[in-house]
Amino acid sequence: MQRAVQGTRRLGGLSVILCLGCLVAAAQEDGAARKIVVDGSTTVGPIAKAFAGYYMAQNPDVNITVSESGSGNGAKSLINSTCDVADLSRFMKVKEFEAAVANGVCPVAHVVAMDGLAIVVNPRNPVQELSLAQVRDIYKGQIKNWSELGGPNVAIVKISRDTNSGTYETFESLVMDNEKIAPDTEYVGSNGAARQRVKSTPGAIGYVGLGFTKGVKRLLIDGVEATKENVASGRYPVARPLFMFTNGYPKLGTHLHAFVTLHLTSDGQEMIERKGYVPVTSYPAKARLVNDDES
Amino acid sequence: MRLGTRKVVDRSFTGLGIFSIALVSLALVILLTPIVVRGIGAVVFRATIEHDRVLMEHFERGNASTFAARNATAIAARAPVYEMLTAYEAQYGVDDFELEELREALQRLLGPAPDQSKPTLARDQFGATRWAQAQEAAHNVLYVQEWDYSDPTQFGVPVDVPRAKRFAGTPLESLFPYVSEHLDEMLQPHWTLYWGFLLDDSLDAHMFGGIWAEILGTLYLTIGAVLFAVPMGIISAIYLVEYAPDHWLIGVLRSCISTLAGVPSIVFGLFGLAFFINTAQVSKYFMAADSTGVSSKSILAGSLTLAILILPVIIRAAEEAIRAVPRTYKEAALSVGAGKWRTILTVMLPAALPGILTGIVISMGRAAGETAPIIFTAAVSVGRPLEVWQTLTQPTPALPWSVYNLCTEHTAADEIRHVQYGMVLTLVVLVLLLNTAAIILRARVSRRLAG
Amino acid sequence: MTTNPSIAPIGPGGAGRLAAPRSLLLSKRASRLRRVLALLGHGVLFLIASSSALAVIFIFFFIARDAIPFFRLEGFKEFFTGTAWYPTHEPPVFGALPIFVGSGLVTLGAILVAVPLGVPAAVCLSDVLPFSVRQYVKPVIEMLAAIPSVAFGFFALVIFTPLLQEHGGRVLAGVWWVVATPLVALLVFVLSDVVANWVVGEARHRAVRVLLAVLMAAAGAWLLFDVGGRFAALTISSGTNALNVSIILGLMALPTVVSVSEDALQAVGRELREGAYALGSTRAEVLVRVIIPAAGSGICAAVILGVMRAVGETMVVWMASGNAAQIPQPWYNLLAPVRTLTATIAGDMGEADQSAGSAHYHVLFAMALALLAISFVCNLISEQVIRRSALKNE
Repeated sequence: MQRAVQGTRRLGGLSVILCLGCLVAAAQEDGAARKIVVDGSTTVGPIAKAFAGYYMAQNPDVNITVSESGSGNGAKSLINSTCDVADLSRFMKVKEFEAAVANGVCPVAHVVAMDGLAIVVNPRNPVQELSLAQVRDIYKGQIKNWSELGGPNVAIVKISRDTNSGTYETFESLVMDNEKIAPDTEYVGSNGAARQRVKSTPGAIGYVGLGFTKGVKRLLIDGVEATKENVASGRYPVARPLFMFTNGYPKLGTHLHAFVTLHLTSDGQEMIERKGYVPVTSYPAKARLVNDDES
Repeated sequence: MRLGTRKVVDRSFTGLGIFSIALVSLALVILLTPIVVRGIGAVVFRATIEHDRVLMEHFERGNASTFAARNATAIAARAPVYEMLTAYEAQYGVDDFELEELREALQRLLGPAPDQSKPTLARDQFGATRWAQAQEAAHNVLYVQEWDYSDPTQFGVPVDVPRAKRFAGTPLESLFPYVSEHLDEMLQPHWTLYWGFLLDDSLDAHMFGGIWAEILGTLYLTIGAVLFAVPMGIISAIYLVEYAPDHWLIGVLRSCISTLAGVPSIVFGLFGLAFFINTAQVSKYFMAADSTGVSSKSILAGSLTLAILILPVIIRAAEEAIRAVPRTYKEAALSVGAGKWRTILTVMLPAALPGILTGIVISMGRAAGETAPIIFTAAVSVGRPLEVWQTLTQPTPALPWSVYNLCTEHTAADEIRHVQYGMVLTLVVLVLLLNTAAIILRARVSRRLAG
Repeated sequence: MTTNPSIAPIGPGGAGRLAAPRSLLLSKRASRLRRVLALLGHGVLFLIASSSALAVIFIFFFIARDAIPFFRLEGFKEFFTGTAWYPTHEPPVFGALPIFVGSGLVTLGAILVAVPLGVPAAVCLSDVLPFSVRQYVKPVIEMLAAIPSVAFGFFALVIFTPLLQEHGGRVLAGVWWVVATPLVALLVFVLSDVVANWVVGEARHRAVRVLLAVLMAAAGAWLLFDVGGRFAALTISSGTNALNVSIILGLMALPTVVSVSEDALQAVGRELREGAYALGSTRAEVLVRVIIPAAGSGICAAVILGVMRAVGETMVVWMASGNAAQIPQPWYNLLAPVRTLTATIAGDMGEADQSAGSAHYHVLFAMALALLAISFVCNLISEQVIRRSALKNE
């Protein structure tokens, strides 16, 4: 009897090992072609999420995961080969390129859309327009109350994106002229969070990508409204392209290639447009017309 | 002090304790009420015909004949709206900003117009699926919100300007009274129990559909963590109780266990990133040698990180449970000639099992609810529900991270508050169920030990 | 193996039929083998048991490995004393003092919430409530401990923050009224009695007593209204601030404080209690003069564990503290947004050039190391305190 017990035990052990083996085999068979890991900017995140949903609906055997952990993290993941696609809302830095090449990774940029940084306030705020210099003074902490700008007597609550975001870096270079932001500025981890805070805080000011301006009021900056047309034509001063980076140009015919070129299809452009960004492909013609009309 | 005063002080001292307990309970109620009430709202709510349409088109569910009947009524009720739009366009042309705005508002309410090509994004393919949202959307059709900034030293006041004013004297003038009167017919509101909220995949980043991927991800992470931690934990506990010599090394070991219990969860996250992802690259071993894929974060890495987090909980619970087994059991077993291991395996462990189980269940609750350790090791915002074998190489959405992600980072965070509340409630219920199980288990143990 | 008929019937349960008797029949060599095997088994067991120690060592090692380059790059002084935190500026500035202050401030706030609520609750649980009631109260407090931190964070951000912004002053005033009214009433009662005894001695001057009581009551009411009014007049411009986080963290630390101090109170033996009662003390006097002092070190340990819980919490502070790297002016200004160590790690971990060895990446590990050190020290202290109190009670 004891022997029988031992026999079953041995069988049990064997079957556990077999199961594990099957698991490993299955996992290996799965390969990686059907898994696309996207990491990076929260600004590009909505585009990536829409693309992922769209692509997965068309290809039921593909799993695309999207994390929104910031441009810096996206770049780092690509350098460390822990993601397939890195979303960046700024261009890759020289240091990052160096690190990537040192790791045998060769980043290739795909510009998926254009985006403007809208300076937003709570809709209850009567202030409609600021100059770039005024925005800078607010964030430097020199203007502390809306009454100094002709608004109500309410302290200004400054909302900024986290320092690791491409949005922050764009703001720092395009608006702040690389001057320091006052220490009492509140930092939030994403565009959505910035919008939320501005929307729920009467005295707040913040800056977000164009896709995140629902429920908040975009200010005119130097008299220019943050619209898609003005971003595309370059009239709006705080605008930047959005990137997806891959390691080398993806092999033609792979899911990865189809994914990072989705923005070139009409469906991709529609999604980008509906998410509130400016598609790279369709706007320049229209925008140039706007400029021609003026000149 | 007088005796009377002493008495009153005594009473009020008692009162103070009860008062503080009452305050704590009150805080708990304040905390849980909105989560429970609005969380249930994710499953039980007044749905519109658009909700049924989502279910029919994307999940192939629902009663086809009821839907067809409802849909026919709804389409008939909507027809005049689109007729008016066509009439207006025939007269004034299509290139009109105000018309575009109106069409957009109508699309939010009713979904795309019949003459429109099917939009790509799921959120544009359907109108308002919940009656509460529909009423809001209808309000946005009828009114344009403007702000009265007449006094710049005060905050503005919202003013609702009827949209009808803008279209006065055009074929669209009668559209607005029509919409407000026939809203019910156009959207067919009805109470529904959307159990699919728990079991459906999400659609277009949680605009529609359910949270199955998140639930499954959380379950995988929790079970994975327990699978790794329990054998280690129980063996450690057995060693500490039965074998450990009285040596300074054991003292250090005990200190280490309590240190581990006190390490902040975000540090576990950093450690998981630095060790399991960047150094050990645990997922790499499970990928095909020629695979072009990357060794990304994965459920495996997340489970391992969580396992270290719950290890001290399990060790302590198991240690306590084994210690609580009466000496007589052990002595009896040894006296009939059982070996030490045999005694432990067949006598001590079964006797201590309920206590150990309690610890396991509590640690499962802990693992399910932790966010910080999985941010860098396992969690993503969008992904499919995974097969078991995919857990070794792929990351997953998980409830705690998705709660954070949806309530802060999502583009339409306000429109999907119900999803967020639903997720929080699911998570809280999951964790509390586990804890209730632990409490019941413990009560049984103490009853058994008592009698 | 078990075919020896003389041994088989010994253990009818089947549990221990094998081991002991068989050893009697074995040769010396086999027994030596067994001993070696046992020793080996012991070793393997020790190895597995020390996995948690290994984990601690690994954690320390991996965190320190990435933290040390920071100190090599930037030195210690700026990190611990600088007040400017611009990790991505050119050149970067890594003054982490505001972040330490932020962590300290929210922890202090959390303790201010958790201890005054938690210790009386623990006293009540251990000495006042009958068992039948305690049975239902304890799970309530355990529930509080079980709720995931992200649920607390969600509550803090989505419900509490807008509430503070819209009705900030009134909410605070409401809390003040609820909490302070009973306390002030009690204080007035006791003080008027004490003062009356001091003024008129034990004599029964009813009029004096009543007069004193009325005067005190008036003073108390004035205090209530004055402070309440001040609270009500406050406007909170930003709801994500140290106060919001402190309250939520306080609730999260509360179960720890309650359960550990209750254990400490229970550990004080019956003899002390009965002795004190026998001397004619009321329950309040027994508790305040005898039991709580005797359990003092245990309650201290409870507070330290509560501190650990609050310092290490991530999601709530990340979502609702405002993350402004400033030292509030004045330092106790709980209405200012602050930034904590944990939130900085969680929020900034995405920093770019890890492989290039940027100081920003390493500074986060330096913070993690600081957190580890704090929790390690707290842990040691609480262990020491508990051990000493255990010795004292024996």
